[in-house]
Amino acid sequence: MSQMLSPDMTIATEAAAKVKIEVKNLNFYYGQSKALKDITLSLPERSVTAFIGPSGCGKSTLLRVFNRIYELYPKQTAEGQVLLDGQNVLDRSQDLNLLRTKIGMVFQKPTPFPMSIYENIAFGVRLYEKISKAEMDGRVEQALKRAALWNEVKDKLNASGLSLSGGQQQRLCIARTVAVKPEVILLDEPASALDPLSTAKIEELIDELQADYTIVIVTHNMQQAARVSKQTAFMYLGELVEFDKTEKIFTSPREKRTQDYITGRFG
Amino acid sequence: MSTASSLHTRRKTRNSVMMTLCVVAAGIGLAWLALILGALVYKGAAGLSFDVFTQMTPPPGDAGGLLNAIYGSVVMTVIAVIVGTPIGVLAGTYMAEYGRFSKLTTVVRFINDILLSAPSIIIGLFVYELMVRPMGHFSAIAGAVALAILVIPVVVRTTEDMLNLVPNALREAGTAIGAPRWVVIKSVAYRAALSGIVTGILLSIARISGETAPLLFTALNNQFWSSNLNAPMASLPVTIFQFALSPYEEWQQLAWTGALIITLTVLALSIVARSLTGRREDK
Repeated sequence: MSQMLSPDMTIATEAAAKVKIEVKNLNFYYGQSKALKDITLSLPERSVTAFIGPSGCGKSTLLRVFNRIYELYPKQTAEGQVLLDGQNVLDRSQDLNLLRTKIGMVFQKPTPFPMSIYENIAFGVRLYEKISKAEMDGRVEQALKRAALWNEVKDKLNASGLSLSGGQQQRLCIARTVAVKPEVILLDEPASALDPLSTAKIEELIDELQADYTIVIVTHNMQQAARVSKQTAFMYLGELVEFDKTEKIFTSPREKRTQDYITGRFG
Repeated sequence: MSTASSLHTRRKTRNSVMMTLCVVAAGIGLAWLALILGALVYKGAAGLSFDVFTQMTPPPGDAGGLLNAIYGSVVMTVIAVIVGTPIGVLAGTYMAEYGRFSKLTTVVRFINDILLSAPSIIIGLFVYELMVRPMGHFSAIAGAVALAILVIPVVVRTTEDMLNLVPNALREAGTAIGAPRWVVIKSVAYRAALSGIVTGILLSIARISGETAPLLFTALNNQFWSSNLNAPMASLPVTIFQFALSPYEEWQQLAWTGALIITLTVLALSIVARSLTGRREDK
């Protein structure tokens, strides 16, 4: 294991961007089996970080630790530290619902709630804010514009969220996440169930959103990682093999395993 | 070549034989249903008149209706549903949401399945011991309780099943946006499973509306109009039971008509339930 964690996994960016999420010695277990092995890395603020690796390497698991969504299921445990602005989110005293308003998440399959497009967005906002109808209208519009969906749905805000196409549903989910004003957005293979055109739209969106949000994206599409991210982490069998600037990972990776994976020799 | 084509022929023959057997079996099954329904409509519709819904059950030899029996059935069914549905829905919610991974859920599900298939006469006897004996007399409320006990397992089962059909991704999405668990259940899971849960409730109504055995020991019967929940009350199934066994032609006719009314009500409920689930699948 010492060979993989060569010097330090934090990246010396020119401007030395502020660290938003810092993972320290994180281990994760599904019952007895260890899914994450001593992960340590730092994610810079307002930037896109991609997690890549073959299926079962632990990239989604790592993402699911950040907002502790894994706690919905029994027998899943995390050890170590995940610091959000210096505060350990794994701390037992952490208010989970508040944490999740700060760390939004979008899933692989679009998951619109069984309600209208408007309500899909208002639902999250209403949980923590008491605002007037006019303000809510504004928030909904703003969120939909942010997710590049406004023009397509502005005349049917009362239609069911389920009536939209897959790509639109996924953008609705992004709008819903953005509407609660999170600081971090976690994307778990957000485009893998979508057609190429919708994928392109989502990627464009990610590019725009990074001006305001810290974004972490899990993807098994290497081109996508190369296109959208500033830095990339390559994971394999629960280990963080290499974490560096995206161009470095894709052009001159330090590790042979990274090289093999990105050139398609395995995985 | 010849073997290949003879194989093909044999397979086709076997296929048509099996097909014929299946069609005949399905036909036999449906034929009985058609015969029963046909007899019911033929004999029941003859007595269907305005009087049935406005007159009380008559003494032997007189003309009359079924008003008190219909009223009793409606009242006891409504109370049973009001009592049984919340218990059933909440228990099903516990099993599918909060206690999804707990041992208690497995135990409750097992016991609930036994209750689901328990002969209803046993429920009647149970409520007889529980309420009728201590109270010293038969009563409508005891009948309603017996019916409620029949409602609960049906509603528990369908609520749990329908909530289990709600994809976990949807719960995760609700949780990920910062909603507490109860909000996720109330606003996301219930909404997604609503038509299924309502269908379960309607099916439970359909089930209890024809139950006779649990009422025999609890609500008994009443020849007269009574809206007193603390007194015996007439109901359609028990009235049918009594009238059908009687030697009086007027009573027998009313029994047929009552049976037709129950059947049509159950049919209507099933159609509503079907259309609700159908709409769910359209999405």
